[in-house]
Amino acid sequence: MKRIGLPVVLVALWWAASAGSTSFFWPPLPAIVAAVPSTWTGDFWLHDVVPSVVRLLIGFFLALFLGVAAGVALGTFRTVFFMAEPVLEFFRALPPPVLIPIIALVAGYTGWTAKVVTITLGCLWPVLLNTIEGVRSVDEVARETARSYHIAPLKVIVPSAGPRIATGARQALSVGVILMVISELFGANRGLGAAVVQFQRGFAVPQMWTGIILLGLLGVALSGLFQLVERHTLAWYHGWRRAEREG
Amino acid sequence: MARRLVALFATLTLAVGACGDSGTTASGQTKLTIGVIPIVDVAPIYLGVQKGFFTEQKLEVKLETAQGGAAIVPGVVAGQYQFGFSNTVSLLLANAQGLPLKAVANGVASTGAEGKDFGAVIVKKDSPITSAKDLAGKRVAVNTLRNINTTTVSSVVRKAGGDPSTITYVELPFPDIVSAVAKGDVDAGQVVEPFLTIAAGQGDKQITSNYAGTAPGLTVGMYFTSTKFAQENAAAVAGFTTAMNKSLEYASAHPDEARAVLTTYTKIDPAVQQKMVLPKWPSAVDKASVQVLADLATQDGVLTKQPDLTALLP
Amino acid sequence: MRRPLLGVAGLLILVAVVELLPRLGLVDTRFLPPFSSMVSALGDEAGTGGFWTALAQTLRGWAIGLAVAVLAGVAAGIVIGGVPFLRAVTATTIEFLRPIPSVALIPLVVLLYGSRPQSALVLVVYAAFWQVLVQVLYGVADVDPVVRDTARSFRFSRWAVVRRVVWPTAMPYVVTGVRLAAAVALILQITAELVIGVPGLGRSIGVAQSSGAVADTYALVIVVGLIGVAVNASARAVERRALRWHTSVRRDL
Repeated sequence: MKRIGLPVVLVALWWAASAGSTSFFWPPLPAIVAAVPSTWTGDFWLHDVVPSVVRLLIGFFLALFLGVAAGVALGTFRTVFFMAEPVLEFFRALPPPVLIPIIALVAGYTGWTAKVVTITLGCLWPVLLNTIEGVRSVDEVARETARSYHIAPLKVIVPSAGPRIATGARQALSVGVILMVISELFGANRGLGAAVVQFQRGFAVPQMWTGIILLGLLGVALSGLFQLVERHTLAWYHGWRRAEREG
Repeated sequence: MARRLVALFATLTLAVGACGDSGTTASGQTKLTIGVIPIVDVAPIYLGVQKGFFTEQKLEVKLETAQGGAAIVPGVVAGQYQFGFSNTVSLLLANAQGLPLKAVANGVASTGAEGKDFGAVIVKKDSPITSAKDLAGKRVAVNTLRNINTTTVSSVVRKAGGDPSTITYVELPFPDIVSAVAKGDVDAGQVVEPFLTIAAGQGDKQITSNYAGTAPGLTVGMYFTSTKFAQENAAAVAGFTTAMNKSLEYASAHPDEARAVLTTYTKIDPAVQQKMVLPKWPSAVDKASVQVLADLATQDGVLTKQPDLTALLP
Repeated sequence: MRRPLLGVAGLLILVAVVELLPRLGLVDTRFLPPFSSMVSALGDEAGTGGFWTALAQTLRGWAIGLAVAVLAGVAAGIVIGGVPFLRAVTATTIEFLRPIPSVALIPLVVLLYGSRPQSALVLVVYAAFWQVLVQVLYGVADVDPVVRDTARSFRFSRWAVVRRVVWPTAMPYVVTGVRLAAAVALILQITAELVIGVPGLGRSIGVAQSSGAVADTYALVIVVGLIGVAVNASARAVERRALRWHTSVRRDL
């Protein structure tokens, strides 16, 4: 009850506070809700929401794959890592949206590829840097043991770096949602982010609010889903942490 | 509590938002902030300010540039600007959504001459697209989706016998449209001056003048205010309309000065500035053409209901 | 000693690759100009007043947004964290509000403020606030209940408890929150400039790209990256100092 109590109260407050609103920009919540059926149509889901989410997922998983692969390599070979460190530091510090003009310069920005590349490049750095950290912190003893028992090093490295990789992936996912929206503000045709901006330009304010709410729900749903997957795959880790704490 | 918080937030927003306020100076001049877009369309108002047409009407005008008409409309509604410039379809959209706006002066119009207008659809030199009809089924770049440029391009394609619903419109800023066409990223693009002249310089061809083709004297943009401001400041509005009409007439009569004033607020290459096609700046709104736009936008589903033109137009 | 040298070598290799790829004709210079032309474009930019104005606008927007977010985050964190009931009921709400992408607010701020600095401010504050708040809540939760109860039994005022017990414990967490918020604030500031057209370096990048000034685009992107590096490095240095102070104090306790 406590878990959902406050969100419910907040929605109720929003409802009450906006009830008599005549401001064009802050329509009453009932007006926003009333706009939902005519806005969230089958066509909207099929041609705006689904393509956006698919682009996000492709970009995210591509980044996860590339980031973990490169991260394991860089984390294992110290010399290479030391050489790459300042370069990585630079790319990590670069706000991901500035990549858009560069990608637009090279590839144009009206197709799917450019948008997926934007998402991938933005998601890559958190995964990569966390994987490197995770791999570097793997126990030397564990590594030696693996070597002497002829266990493939990856079988030791990847699980022990798992929690850090998960942290990186979680950061990457939130960057990914941001880039999913921003990538649709350039060279847009359809997409959830593009649709919300279209509503704004057409002064369809209640419809715009339904889009903002949907983006919020999407963010929440993805982070919830992520937690589920993380809890499942890292069950051993959480169990170990709990045991250690209670121990 | 929540009500009070919302009220507090609203007050804060207003306080932050209301910095471009109007008022009266010591010399009896009314101060106005006007939202414009830094494009060729608004050359007359810059010229008029330079020539003192607004001071004659006891108006002290400050021109503020915004990124697009869609940002100026809310600015006028919220009182940050007392007047603004916007394209006709944006104003129709705002009106249909119930925003209380009133057009007070004409802004810019098509030259009505096919192939010699200030806006057109361009393609690469060797493109197989040679007429508006060929645009059907192609990717066409416009600067804003579901607005005046998609409406007018669809209209000329329909008139030429093509099916505009098969066109895939993509949104890009004007400068990027020229390079997207050059790269083949899109099949065609709708641009206005000075980008039309720049594109021609790169060898692109014009295939149709979408404004002239929609209606010969098409009213492409207008100056407007909020109905509230218009009711409370009748004198300032009348003064603005007078000064604006004088500016439009002056700019039409002195095209060289209109070209020259462009350098004060845009970065246009001098060669392009001399060669580009200037729009028409009549002082009267072509009401029939606005009705044509309203009908087309409704037909395309850009407008969900007919706007109230008598309330909107001067 | 070996590590910084290798790092410099890595940077030099990157520079050499960016210089040679276009020079050898392996990459079209329209897409990637040689590093030297980026540098000379940067030199030209640095000679213009516009560049410095844009830089100042970006930094000012970032600093104001960060400051507001930190103040609001710390105040909210201490209040919520100090009242068990509030902490319990807000826990899920914070988890719920935090993943809402700040960029979802872009259309709203465009309607409200257009391309003026307030648009960027709202986005920066919203995004940075959560970073601070969450850390402060961790920090407040870390306060030793025994110490807190002891302070209360000595009839410390509420304010004194906050100042002498809660703040010293929460301080390192606050600093971590500020470090995270500083990076996020920069991202949102640049994003707002690039996407909405708020004046600043982000808008300059967009303008340079639109006008086909390729070398300038890259030069400005490099400047933004360097600002990011500077922000991260100085935030980490501050954090390290704060943490050192903290552990020593705690050891004395």
